[in-house]
Amino acid sequence: MGMFLVFGGAGAAMAAPADNGVEGKTFVIGTDTTFAPFEFRENGELTGIDMDLVRAIAEAEGFKVEIRSLGFNAALQALTSNQVDGVIAGMSITDERKQVYDFSEPYFESGIQMAVAKNDDTIKGYEDLKGKTVVAKTGSEGEAYAKSIAGQYGFTVKSLDQSATMYESVKSGSAVAVFDDYPVLAYGVAQNNGLKTVTDKVPGGSYGFAVNKGKNTALLAAFNDGLAKLKADGDYQKILDKYLANPTAAQPTTFLDLLGKSFPALMSGLKNTLVVTIISFAVAMAIGLLAGFMKISHNIVLRGIATTFVNIFRGTPLLLWAFMFYFGLPQLTGQPINIWVAGVLTLSLNSGAYVAEIVRGGIQSVDPGQLEASRSLGLGYGKSMQKVVVPQAFKMMTPSLINQLIIMLKDSSLLLAIGFAELLYQGQQIYAANFRVTETLLIVGVIYFVAVMALTKLANYADRRFNK
Amino acid sequence: MSASPVETQKPAKITVKGLRKSFGANEVLKGIDVEIAEGEVVCVIGPSGSGKSTLLRCLNKLEEISAGHVIVDGFDVTDPKVDINEVRRHVGMVFQHFNLFPHMSVAENIMLAPVELKKATRVEARAQAMKLLERVGLKEKADARPASLSGGQKQRVAIARALAMNPGIMLFDEATSALDPEMVGEVLQVIRDLAAEGMTMVLVTHEMGFAKEIGDRVVFMADGVVCESGPPAELFGNPQQDRTKEFLSKVL
Repeated sequence: MGMFLVFGGAGAAMAAPADNGVEGKTFVIGTDTTFAPFEFRENGELTGIDMDLVRAIAEAEGFKVEIRSLGFNAALQALTSNQVDGVIAGMSITDERKQVYDFSEPYFESGIQMAVAKNDDTIKGYEDLKGKTVVAKTGSEGEAYAKSIAGQYGFTVKSLDQSATMYESVKSGSAVAVFDDYPVLAYGVAQNNGLKTVTDKVPGGSYGFAVNKGKNTALLAAFNDGLAKLKADGDYQKILDKYLANPTAAQPTTFLDLLGKSFPALMSGLKNTLVVTIISFAVAMAIGLLAGFMKISHNIVLRGIATTFVNIFRGTPLLLWAFMFYFGLPQLTGQPINIWVAGVLTLSLNSGAYVAEIVRGGIQSVDPGQLEASRSLGLGYGKSMQKVVVPQAFKMMTPSLINQLIIMLKDSSLLLAIGFAELLYQGQQIYAANFRVTETLLIVGVIYFVAVMALTKLANYADRRFNK
Repeated sequence: MSASPVETQKPAKITVKGLRKSFGANEVLKGIDVEIAEGEVVCVIGPSGSGKSTLLRCLNKLEEISAGHVIVDGFDVTDPKVDINEVRRHVGMVFQHFNLFPHMSVAENIMLAPVELKKATRVEARAQAMKLLERVGLKEKADARPASLSGGQKQRVAIARALAMNPGIMLFDEATSALDPEMVGEVLQVIRDLAAEGMTMVLVTHEMGFAKEIGDRVVFMADGVVCESGPPAELFGNPQQDRTKEFLSKVL
């Protein structure tokens, strides 16, 4: 999440009024990770209506912005704790939010629209939905609207988490229509997501730029002032048209184009996947060796601690710990946690529990006569373990450890749930913007497969080399 | 062999007093008293389950001792203040199943203790290992892996390994029981040579002929006690106890 952009406008600063209180300053602006067409990544750069708008306003008003792509909820938390100065994230202005934040003038009038598969000629309006299933995004205005008319038209509403998954279920036929924010739908249709809109938009919420209640009043005023200027000189409309009416951001059309465009982001995801796996596996080995030896210890307390540790982490889902460390722990300690720390903790503690069992099993599978022979020579317990038992145990443990490493590499994809920018997460980001779900997942799958195969070969080579 | 009574007047190398050993509720040794003099070769015989091996394993504390005392070279191994590792360096042990370290070469097996216990540099330890291997007739196998050796060769390497710390005492726990018959002879020859050099030895064995030949004294154990002991000629030729007679009638 460390990705940020500094946008400077030294030349534009001269055009701005000298007394607006923001000139020459730098403001930190939080935003969502992906909410196309308002914010999304293209070739690794954050772009979209919100991004173009806030940068254009900053230029017009003579201040600088530093964008932090945090995710919607995290951005709002950061705003509350004054870690960012403002948030622009396709956020509707609501009465609840007005209690804690100050909003700008609405910069976008949203609304709800219904879309169906491009080749579907049977659904032309709400009255054709009788007995059918539609999808909407969990907690969105689209969901609220669909549910409000579901009884009247006799259809069922199923809620999903992401726009891209909603569109896929319409294309694959598990739902006949989708209710979503019209700009999001319009952008998707323009990107050839395989859908078409069939109803007029129902007026919905207005989007606003937010600052913390009573803070950054000069920034808010400058935003309103800049927005008015952009609307007046037509730049505002140009930005909207760029993403909604006539998207010029040409999306890849062929598979090779898609591959070429998405490759850099996927490679950075792969790098994070590999780095987090390697660090976590090293930590898991340390934890597992310690807990494994504790499990065979004669000391009942040590044995109890190790057994409890193993039981807890083998008996609970990995994903639960990812949420616990990333969302739960900061609330207990009051300290934000680095996502790498949360990721490594999650993977290494989970895997450490399995490694502990592998270590215990490996050591216990060594003939007790080996330890006796070494002890009878006058070598101490530790020395005997180190020189005689553990080397033999490791030889037997190696295949299981390689297996554990591969499981960890694949399980690291679960960290996408806390926003860790690993390989599958990057894939999601890509298809959230271009809607090429199947092909993107296919590419991601091949990359995982190649990575796992390469790792297996490497580990087997190391096994042959060191465990002759 | 040298079964002269003079040897019993030498200072005791090993003294066992009132030794008891239980595994849970099962008492395996029920009060053993034995003295072994320096240079003496004692063969322990008896039916299986009589506690022979357990007695041997108590001598270097491979088994925790439930009660009584075992004094080796003046050290009471039951005293928690005694460094058992130090005592074990003076007591070589040879196991029924050899227990060679499979991940090391033959020479490395022998070098492990001297090098790890800082008694010798690798070069010195290697030279010593070669001498020991020469003594057991396996010099050419120094760099072989244990897995490539025959049973008899493995046991000869195990003896060389047990000798690496220059122990004053050697313990043999059924050293030939796991061997094919044609390999027993080569191992017995090595043990015979050690006896001739004056090594204090305790052998648990099923080889009655060998016990008769090599032992200064034979100890017959049954049901966790020493039933009868004496010079081999007396014990085999004129056993006093019924239990001894019964056992000998089955095995001789």
